[in-house]
Amino acid sequence: MKIFVCIDDTDNLDSIGTGELLENMMCEASLNNLCSSGMTVRYQLFIHDDIPYTSHNSSMCCNAQTDNLDALTKFCEDYLEANSAEGSDPGLCILTDDDSLDYTPLIDFGRRAQREVLTKDEAYSTALAFGKDVHLSEHGGTGGGVIGALAGAALRAGKEEGRIKGKLQPVPGKTEWTSDEFSKMFGVQSFTDEEGREIKEPLSFVFMHPTKLIYKGGLVTSVIVNENGRLMPKPKIKKAKK
Amino acid sequence: MMWIKENGKTVFAGGKTAFEAAALCADACPSYSEDCEDETVCDDEKSCYNCRYRRWTEKSFECMKGAGK
Repeated sequence: MKIFVCIDDTDNLDSIGTGELLENMMCEASLNNLCSSGMTVRYQLFIHDDIPYTSHNSSMCCNAQTDNLDALTKFCEDYLEANSAEGSDPGLCILTDDDSLDYTPLIDFGRRAQREVLTKDEAYSTALAFGKDVHLSEHGGTGGGVIGALAGAALRAGKEEGRIKGKLQPVPGKTEWTSDEFSKMFGVQSFTDEEGREIKEPLSFVFMHPTKLIYKGGLVTSVIVNENGRLMPKPKIKKAKK
Repeated sequence: MMWIKENGKTVFAGGKTAFEAAALCADACPSYSEDCEDETVCDDEKSCYNCRYRRWTEKSFECMKGAGK
């Protein structure tokens, strides 16, 4: 079966981040023949003084496939309890990935978590309606991470826009690319402009700076920008160079 | 002076887009430590915006190491 796995609130200021912990956890689960996992998507949640996030309040969610959901769930629970950072409030969400499910109430919860302060009770009551299709559990501290974990899984299930973990590096010796070449090399499924409009026609562009891909409408997407008359995947650089 | 005190917290006065000031502060900071790539803002840049000890707020960030003390 296909699933989404999302964890939140597993770190402290000095530990590895939640995204890295998720990837480590899924790698070990894979080595134990419990699943195969896909890409991780980062979702930005609400920044507010009343939310006890460590530094950025993001939630990380990956997709996976498993033949033994019970064993994988137990593995993830044990892993979080053994590896989450001191003082953290870890939460775990495992959600069935099935296009026939109506995720609307979950997506609403995820969107609210991006603009409101929510409670654990709201997370559990939202999850309750999905019965066995959602697992939500706390693994230390206040367990407040269940809020972000459910929100991240919900946003991913809803194909909401998030940043894909990691970045693409330019390929030495190759600057000029067509969109077809770029798609084949990096698994990109869609191109958009900076306003989010899909670019359907074939493109030629330069790829000279590290770039990040986004997950948008369920597709791995590269944002193409025009920098001084040249098209290129949007550079990660955000500093106005002198 | 790039730091202000707000309710006992040390908050960067430049908001989220004072890239040069954030780079200067990071250069002078003994506690600077780069966050993981997915949470950095400026590529290949030593900047408070990229530091693991910054905690984002609605308008800026708080330095969890109490910069400017």
